Amino acid sequence: MSNEFKLLKVILSKYSSPITLNYPSSIAIDKKYSQIPESFRGIPERDKDKCMGCKACYFICSGRATNVIDKENKRIVDIFLFRCTFCAHCQEACPEEAIKLTNKFEIALFEDGPDAHISTELELILCKRCGRPYITKRMLERTFERLMEEINPLVKKEVSNDYQKIMNYCNECRRALSISLDTHTKKYVWLEEL
Amino acid sequence: MRIIDRARIYSPWIYHLHCGGCNGCDIEILAALSPRFDVERFGIMLVSSPRHADVLLTTGPVPKQFMPMLKRVYSQIPEPKVVVAVGSCASGGSLFYDDSPENYAIVGSVDRVIPVDVYIPGCPPKPEAIINGIVQAIIKLVNKANSPKNAKKS
Repeated sequence: MSNEFKLLKVILSKYSSPITLNYPSSIAIDKKYSQIPESFRGIPERDKDKCMGCKACYFICSGRATNVIDKENKRIVDIFLFRCTFCAHCQEACPEEAIKLTNKFEIALFEDGPDAHISTELELILCKRCGRPYITKRMLERTFERLMEEINPLVKKEVSNDYQKIMNYCNECRRALSISLDTHTKKYVWLEEL
Repeated sequence: MRIIDRARIYSPWIYHLHCGGCNGCDIEILAALSPRFDVERFGIMLVSSPRHADVLLTTGPVPKQFMPMLKRVYSQIPEPKVVVAVGSCASGGSLFYDDSPENYAIVGSVDRVIPVDVYIPGCPPKPEAIINGIVQAIIKLVNKANSPKNAKKS
Protein backbone atom coordinates (compact mmCIF):
# COMPACT_ATOMS: atom_id res chain seq x y z
CA MET A 1 0.00 0.00 0.00
CA SER A 2 2.73 2.47 1.03
CA ASN A 3 4.43 2.16 -2.32
CA GLU A 4 1.22 3.05 -4.12
CA PHE A 5 0.83 6.14 -1.95
CA LYS A 6 4.37 7.19 -2.81
CA LEU A 7 3.57 6.83 -6.49
CA LEU A 8 0.44 8.94 -6.07
CA LYS A 9 2.48 11.63 -4.28
CA VAL A 10 5.01 11.77 -7.09
CA ILE A 11 2.25 12.08 -9.70
CA LEU A 12 0.44 14.81 -7.72
CA SER A 13 3.63 16.78 -7.11
CA LYS A 14 3.86 17.46 -10.84
CA TYR A 15 0.60 19.42 -10.70
CA SER A 16 1.25 21.33 -7.42
CA SER A 17 3.21 24.58 -7.20
CA PRO A 18 6.79 24.52 -5.80
CA ILE A 19 7.33 25.01 -2.04
CA THR A 20 10.14 27.51 -2.48
CA LEU A 21 9.25 31.09 -1.62
CA ASN A 22 10.26 33.62 -4.21
CA TYR A 23 12.14 35.60 -1.57
CA PRO A 24 13.16 39.00 -2.89
CA SER A 25 9.87 39.58 -4.71
CA SER A 26 7.38 38.28 -2.11
CA ILE A 27 8.09 40.23 1.07
CA ALA A 28 5.07 42.56 1.14
CA ILE A 29 2.73 42.08 4.12
CA ASP A 30 -0.54 42.16 2.19
CA LYS A 31 0.46 39.32 -0.14
CA LYS A 32 -1.27 36.03 0.49
CA TYR A 33 1.76 33.77 0.82
CA SER A 34 4.09 36.31 2.36
CA GLN A 35 6.52 35.21 5.09
CA ILE A 36 6.03 38.21 7.40
CA PRO A 37 3.32 37.85 10.03
CA GLU A 38 1.64 41.07 11.21
CA SER A 39 3.03 40.75 14.74
CA PHE A 40 6.63 40.30 13.57
CA ARG A 41 9.18 42.30 15.58
CA GLY A 42 11.72 44.07 13.38
CA ILE A 43 13.70 47.30 13.63
CA PRO A 44 12.46 49.67 16.36
CA GLU A 45 11.38 53.14 15.26
CA ARG A 46 11.13 56.17 17.52
CA ASP A 47 8.66 59.02 16.95
CA LYS A 48 10.68 62.24 17.27
CA ASP A 49 7.70 64.35 18.30
CA LYS A 50 6.49 61.98 21.04
CA CYS A 51 9.72 60.95 22.81
CA MET A 52 10.41 63.00 25.95
CA GLY A 53 13.63 61.40 27.23
CA CYS A 54 12.27 59.84 30.44
CA LYS A 55 14.79 56.94 30.40
CA ALA A 56 12.08 54.27 30.87
CA CYS A 57 13.45 52.32 27.88
CA TYR A 58 17.00 52.69 29.21
CA PHE A 59 16.20 51.08 32.56
CA ILE A 60 14.20 48.17 31.14
CA CYS A 61 16.55 47.24 28.25
CA SER A 62 17.96 43.78 29.04
CA GLY A 63 20.72 43.73 26.43
CA ARG A 64 22.07 47.20 27.29
CA ALA A 65 21.32 48.28 23.71
CA THR A 66 19.66 51.55 24.75
CA ASN A 67 21.93 54.35 25.89
CA VAL A 68 21.15 57.82 27.19
CA ILE A 69 23.93 60.40 26.98
CA ASP A 70 23.73 63.96 28.31
CA LYS A 71 25.97 66.36 26.38
CA GLU A 72 25.85 70.04 27.37
CA ASN A 73 22.35 71.19 26.34
CA LYS A 74 21.27 68.00 24.61
CA ARG A 75 20.17 64.52 25.64
CA ILE A 76 20.74 61.77 23.08
CA VAL A 77 18.53 58.65 23.36
CA ASP A 78 20.05 55.91 21.26
CA ILE A 79 19.43 52.24 20.35
CA PHE A 80 22.45 50.26 19.12
CA LEU A 81 21.00 47.78 16.61
CA PHE A 82 23.87 45.26 16.81
CA ARG A 83 23.12 44.64 20.49
CA CYS A 84 19.30 44.83 20.24
CA THR A 85 17.37 41.56 20.57
CA PHE A 86 14.04 43.01 19.32
CA CYS A 87 12.24 41.93 22.51
CA ALA A 88 9.83 44.93 22.45
CA HIS A 89 10.23 45.62 26.18
CA CYS A 90 10.88 49.29 25.39
CA GLN A 91 7.63 49.42 23.41
CA GLU A 92 5.73 48.17 26.48
CA ALA A 93 7.52 50.46 28.92
CA CYS A 94 7.23 53.69 26.91
CA PRO A 95 4.59 55.92 28.58
CA GLU A 96 4.14 58.06 25.46
CA GLU A 97 4.04 55.14 22.98
CA ALA A 98 6.89 56.69 21.03
CA ILE A 99 8.75 53.45 20.25
CA LYS A 100 7.21 50.96 17.87
CA LEU A 101 8.76 47.87 16.30
CA THR A 102 8.31 47.79 12.54
CA ASN A 103 8.20 44.87 10.11
CA LYS A 104 11.57 45.61 8.51
CA PHE A 105 14.20 42.91 8.89
CA GLU A 106 16.75 43.44 6.10
CA ILE A 107 19.44 45.11 8.19
CA ALA A 108 22.71 43.55 7.08
CA LEU A 109 25.38 46.23 7.57
CA PHE A 110 29.06 46.47 6.68
CA GLU A 111 30.18 48.39 9.76
CA ASP A 112 29.16 50.20 12.91
CA GLY A 113 28.00 53.51 11.42
CA PRO A 114 25.09 55.93 11.71
CA ASP A 115 22.78 53.32 10.13
CA ALA A 116 23.33 51.02 13.12
CA HIS A 117 22.04 53.62 15.60
CA ILE A 118 18.48 54.85 16.09
CA SER A 119 18.97 58.10 17.97
CA THR A 120 16.99 61.24 18.77
CA GLU A 121 18.23 64.54 20.19
CA LEU A 122 16.24 66.31 22.89
CA GLU A 123 16.67 69.74 24.46
CA LEU A 124 17.69 69.95 28.12
CA ILE A 125 16.68 72.74 30.51
CA LEU A 126 19.33 74.31 32.78
CA CYS A 127 18.54 75.06 36.41
CA LYS A 128 18.17 78.80 37.07
CA ARG A 129 20.03 78.66 40.38
CA CYS A 130 22.88 76.16 39.95
CA GLY A 131 23.11 76.00 36.15
CA ARG A 132 23.09 72.21 35.81
CA PRO A 133 20.95 70.39 33.20
CA TYR A 134 18.20 68.43 34.96
CA ILE A 135 15.20 67.62 32.72
CA THR A 136 14.17 67.74 29.08
CA LYS A 137 11.89 70.49 27.88
CA ARG A 138 9.18 68.15 26.62
CA MET A 139 9.14 66.07 29.81
CA LEU A 140 8.49 69.21 31.87
CA GLU A 141 5.48 70.09 29.72
CA ARG A 142 4.11 66.55 29.78
CA THR A 143 4.44 66.14 33.56
CA PHE A 144 2.53 69.41 34.04
CA GLU A 145 -0.26 68.22 31.72
CA ARG A 146 -0.51 64.84 33.47
CA LEU A 147 -0.54 66.50 36.89
CA MET A 148 -3.45 68.72 35.92
CA GLU A 149 -5.46 65.73 34.63
CA GLU A 150 -5.24 63.67 37.81
CA ILE A 151 -5.34 66.31 40.54
CA ASN A 152 -8.24 67.20 42.83
CA PRO A 153 -10.16 70.11 41.23
CA LEU A 154 -10.25 71.94 44.60
CA VAL A 155 -6.49 72.57 44.58
CA LYS A 156 -6.00 72.83 40.84
CA LYS A 157 -5.44 76.58 40.76
CA GLU A 158 -2.93 76.74 43.59
CA VAL A 159 -0.89 73.80 42.33
CA SER A 160 -0.61 75.23 38.83
CA ASN A 161 0.54 78.56 40.28
CA ASP A 162 3.12 76.84 42.49
CA TYR A 163 4.36 74.61 39.69
CA GLN A 164 5.07 77.55 37.43
CA LYS A 165 7.12 79.16 40.21
CA ILE A 166 9.44 76.18 40.73
CA MET A 167 9.44 74.93 37.14
CA ASN A 168 12.92 76.21 36.30
CA TYR A 169 14.78 74.86 39.33
CA CYS A 170 16.34 71.41 39.78
CA ASN A 171 15.19 69.01 42.51
CA GLU A 172 17.82 70.05 45.06
CA CYS A 173 17.20 73.76 44.52
CA ARG A 174 13.43 73.24 44.85
CA ARG A 175 13.93 71.87 48.34
CA ALA A 176 16.11 74.80 49.31
CA LEU A 177 13.75 77.43 47.88
CA SER A 178 10.43 75.91 49.00
CA ILE A 179 9.89 78.32 51.91
CA SER A 180 11.08 81.48 50.22
CA LEU A 181 8.85 80.83 47.17
CA ASP A 182 5.93 79.69 49.40
CA THR A 183 5.56 76.31 47.68
CA HIS A 184 5.84 74.04 50.74
CA THR A 185 3.34 71.16 50.69
CA LYS A 186 2.17 71.75 54.27
CA LYS A 187 -0.08 74.59 53.18
CA TYR A 188 -2.46 72.10 51.52
CA VAL A 189 -3.23 70.28 54.78
CA TRP A 190 -6.23 72.45 55.57
CA LEU A 191 -7.66 71.83 52.10
CA GLU A 192 -7.62 68.07 52.51
CA GLU A 193 -9.62 68.32 55.75
CA LEU A 194 -12.43 69.99 53.87
CA MET B 1 36.08 40.24 -15.60
CA ARG B 2 38.14 37.10 -15.22
CA ILE B 3 36.61 33.62 -15.18
CA ILE B 4 37.58 33.10 -11.52
CA ASP B 5 35.79 36.31 -10.50
CA ARG B 6 32.60 35.21 -12.27
CA ALA B 7 32.77 31.87 -10.49
CA ARG B 8 33.12 33.65 -7.17
CA ILE B 9 29.96 35.70 -7.71
CA TYR B 10 27.79 32.79 -8.78
CA SER B 11 28.94 30.21 -6.22
CA PRO B 12 30.04 31.51 -2.81
CA TRP B 13 30.66 28.49 -0.60
CA ILE B 14 30.02 28.96 3.07
CA TYR B 15 31.48 27.35 6.18
CA HIS B 16 29.33 27.49 9.29
CA LEU B 17 31.14 27.84 12.63
CA HIS B 18 29.19 27.69 15.86
CA CYS B 19 30.97 29.51 18.70
CA GLY B 20 29.08 29.30 21.96
CA GLY B 21 25.59 30.38 20.95
CA CYS B 22 22.16 29.09 21.98
CA ASN B 23 21.57 27.24 18.65
CA GLY B 24 18.78 29.66 17.63
CA CYS B 25 20.79 31.23 14.81
CA ASP B 26 22.12 27.83 13.72
CA ILE B 27 18.58 26.53 13.27
CA GLU B 28 17.73 29.59 11.17
CA ILE B 29 20.81 29.03 8.99
CA LEU B 30 19.73 25.43 8.39
CA ALA B 31 16.21 26.67 7.61
CA ALA B 32 17.70 28.97 4.98
CA LEU B 33 19.39 25.97 3.36
CA SER B 34 16.14 24.00 3.25
CA PRO B 35 13.94 23.81 0.09
CA ARG B 36 11.52 26.46 1.40
CA PHE B 37 14.11 29.23 1.13
CA ASP B 38 16.52 27.34 -1.15
CA VAL B 39 19.77 29.31 -1.13
CA GLU B 40 21.14 27.19 -3.94
CA ARG B 41 19.21 29.50 -6.28
CA PHE B 42 22.04 31.92 -5.57
CA GLY B 43 24.71 29.20 -5.79
CA ILE B 44 25.32 29.26 -2.05
CA MET B 45 26.43 25.88 -0.71
CA LEU B 46 27.44 24.61 2.73
CA VAL B 47 30.84 22.92 2.76
CA SER B 48 32.34 20.77 5.49
CA SER B 49 35.90 22.12 5.42
CA PRO B 50 37.13 25.71 5.84
CA ARG B 51 39.75 25.06 3.14
CA HIS B 52 37.00 24.93 0.50
CA ALA B 53 35.06 27.97 1.71
CA ASP B 54 34.85 31.61 0.66
CA VAL B 55 32.51 32.85 3.38
CA LEU B 56 32.69 32.13 7.12
CA LEU B 57 29.40 32.24 9.03
CA THR B 58 29.80 32.63 12.79
CA THR B 59 27.07 32.52 15.44
CA GLY B 60 27.08 33.25 19.15
CA PRO B 61 29.33 35.17 21.56
CA VAL B 62 32.85 33.80 21.53
CA PRO B 63 33.92 32.03 24.75
CA LYS B 64 37.54 32.53 25.80
CA GLN B 65 38.26 28.80 25.39
CA PHE B 66 37.13 28.92 21.76
CA MET B 67 39.34 31.84 20.67
CA PRO B 68 42.32 29.78 19.34
CA MET B 69 39.98 27.54 17.30
CA LEU B 70 38.25 30.54 15.73
CA LYS B 71 41.59 32.08 14.77
CA ARG B 72 42.76 28.76 13.32
CA VAL B 73 39.63 28.28 11.20
CA TYR B 74 39.94 31.88 9.98
CA SER B 75 43.55 31.35 8.91
CA GLN B 76 42.65 28.11 7.07
CA ILE B 77 40.23 29.84 4.67
CA PRO B 78 41.98 30.81 1.43
CA GLU B 79 42.14 34.48 0.32
CA PRO B 80 39.95 36.37 -0.53
CA LYS B 81 37.66 35.61 2.40
CA VAL B 82 34.67 37.25 4.04
CA VAL B 83 33.39 36.85 7.61
CA VAL B 84 29.67 37.20 8.36
CA ALA B 85 28.45 37.59 11.95
CA VAL B 86 24.95 36.11 12.26
CA GLY B 87 22.75 37.22 15.16
CA SER B 88 23.06 40.00 17.71
CA CYS B 89 25.36 37.93 19.98
CA ALA B 90 27.97 37.62 17.24
CA SER B 91 27.65 41.20 15.97
CA GLY B 92 27.37 43.21 19.19
CA GLY B 93 27.65 40.92 22.22
CA SER B 94 23.95 41.25 23.10
CA LEU B 95 23.18 40.01 26.63
CA PHE B 96 26.78 38.96 27.19
CA TYR B 97 28.18 42.43 26.52
CA ASP B 98 30.22 43.81 29.42
CA ASP B 99 32.38 46.90 29.36
CA SER B 100 33.79 46.90 32.87
CA PRO B 101 34.43 44.57 34.54
CA GLU B 102 35.01 42.26 31.61
CA ASN B 103 33.20 38.92 31.56
CA TYR B 104 35.44 36.16 32.96
CA ALA B 105 34.42 33.51 30.40
CA ILE B 106 33.06 35.25 27.32
CA VAL B 107 34.88 37.63 24.96
CA GLY B 108 31.72 39.05 23.35
CA SER B 109 31.30 39.97 19.71
CA VAL B 110 33.29 38.22 16.99
CA ASP B 111 34.99 41.43 15.81
CA ARG B 112 37.07 41.45 19.01
CA VAL B 113 38.88 38.33 17.74
CA ILE B 114 38.83 38.44 13.92
CA PRO B 115 37.85 41.20 11.41
CA VAL B 116 34.14 41.01 10.46
CA ASP B 117 32.81 42.28 7.09
CA VAL B 118 29.03 41.93 7.33
CA TYR B 119 26.83 42.07 10.43
CA ILE B 120 23.32 40.56 10.52
CA PRO B 121 21.54 41.68 13.71
CA GLY B 122 18.45 39.84 14.94
CA CYS B 123 17.67 37.38 17.70
CA PRO B 124 17.56 35.16 15.71
CA PRO B 125 17.54 36.77 12.22
CA LYS B 126 14.96 35.49 9.75
CA PRO B 127 16.25 33.10 7.05
CA GLU B 128 15.52 35.85 4.51
CA ALA B 129 17.71 38.27 6.48
CA ILE B 130 20.54 35.71 6.42
CA ILE B 131 20.19 35.30 2.64
CA ASN B 132 20.22 39.10 2.28
CA GLY B 133 23.40 39.27 4.40
CA ILE B 134 25.24 36.61 2.41
CA VAL B 135 24.30 38.29 -0.87
CA GLN B 136 25.79 41.53 0.49
CA ALA B 137 28.90 39.58 1.52
CA ILE B 138 29.39 38.62 -2.15
CA ILE B 139 29.79 42.32 -2.99
CA LYS B 140 32.59 42.55 -0.43
CA LEU B 141 34.15 39.34 -1.74
CA VAL B 142 34.42 40.73 -5.28
CA ASN B 143 35.82 44.04 -4.00
CA LYS B 144 38.45 42.17 -2.01
CA ALA B 145 39.42 39.98 -4.98
CA ASN B 146 39.91 43.04 -7.21
CA SER B 147 41.90 45.06 -4.66
CA PRO B 148 45.55 45.81 -5.63
CA LYS B 149 46.84 43.90 -2.60
CA ASN B 150 45.58 40.59 -3.98
CA ALA B 151 46.51 41.37 -7.59
CA LYS B 152 50.21 41.46 -6.68
CA LYS B 153 50.04 38.06 -5.03
CA SER B 154 48.48 36.34 -8.02
